[in-house]
Amino acid sequence: MGQYFGKLFNQLGFGNKEVRILILGLDGAGKTTILYRMQVGEVVSTIPTIGFNVETVSYKNIKFQVWDLGGQTNIRPYWRCYYANTDAVIYVVDSCDRDRIGTARDELAAMLSEEELRDSVLLVFANKQDMKGAMSAAEVSEALGLPRLKNRQWGIYKTSALKGEGLDEGLDWLVNAIKGT
Amino acid sequence: MFTLVSGAYRYFTRLDEYNVLILGLDGAGKTTLLERIKHQATGVGGMAPEKIQPTVGVNIVKVHRQRRVVRFMDLGGQKDLRGIWSSYFGDSHAVLFVVDSASADRMEEAKGVLLDLARQTELEGVPVLVLASKQDVADVKALLAVKELVNSIADTLDGRDVRVLGASGIDGAGLHEAVDWLLSRMLENSPARPPATSSY
Repeated sequence: MGQYFGKLFNQLGFGNKEVRILILGLDGAGKTTILYRMQVGEVVSTIPTIGFNVETVSYKNIKFQVWDLGGQTNIRPYWRCYYANTDAVIYVVDSCDRDRIGTARDELAAMLSEEELRDSVLLVFANKQDMKGAMSAAEVSEALGLPRLKNRQWGIYKTSALKGEGLDEGLDWLVNAIKGT
Repeated sequence: MFTLVSGAYRYFTRLDEYNVLILGLDGAGKTTLLERIKHQATGVGGMAPEKIQPTVGVNIVKVHRQRRVVRFMDLGGQKDLRGIWSSYFGDSHAVLFVVDSASADRMEEAKGVLLDLARQTELEGVPVLVLASKQDVADVKALLAVKELVNSIADTLDGRDVRVLGASGIDGAGLHEAVDWLLSRMLENSPARPPATSSY
């Protein structure tokens, strides 16, 4: 019975519901650039985020409340304060930064083990694909240990926030993935 | 008394969960089929087929049937992504193998991949449904070709439930039947592979 009401509610209410999304990742991965690409459709010059940026983005008639949290080592522990009621996490990775991909993997694993993020969908942006020597999507997913994720919907997309490539494809996937759960 | 009541509550709200892996070559139409299954089960309009990108990752759709949950997991089929599949074998209850019946030149490759799956010890005894996709553009001949493919490796698939069906991700023909078949075989096979449980 519950599922039928839930279904009805989703169909009627989805258009008005705000979807809560967190953009996370190491410092310098391109989170803020992606946020403003999504919101205003162009590249703005950014400075390292201390604290957070929050914007409302409309995409395909769905309102996203997007939180972009600072990625520097000493402020990562504060990410967890924002986990409650999160529908999806966009995890941004610098695909050229092979030295720190291990750190990115550990932070991701710690994050996904949190109970509050149990039902959220994971979208990974393998960013900075415009640069030479960038890792492929398959390489990044392997390095992040994504294949070992059970019971979670995840997808990875190659993006270039500077050129605006790949973002729409990823968001299309995300919108669809959230509808399915 | 409390134990009795809480036990009864747990019994009546219990949900058995079965996992179906959707596997096959890249471009076989796995995600299109998944979107169509989702549309039939939940009523939300899935992604338009022409907008679906090659999957890197996992798409999941849960279908409620007969007080059970069937969780369809659609894994990317590109060659360098097939290594990911094996980490999902242990928790799976059935394999839905999708073959693009319209592309005759990749039949051999599909056969090799299916043969490899049949030999996996982690998938031993798991029911396999081979779905000839894109039946909307192909004809009956194509379905026969897929049946021949399965027959040629029948000895490796021995001892488990195997069936070949045609289906279309565009209009959804044949999908209801496919889901029904999978559920019935997973139930039959549940002594060997018990479902995971969750509650409402």
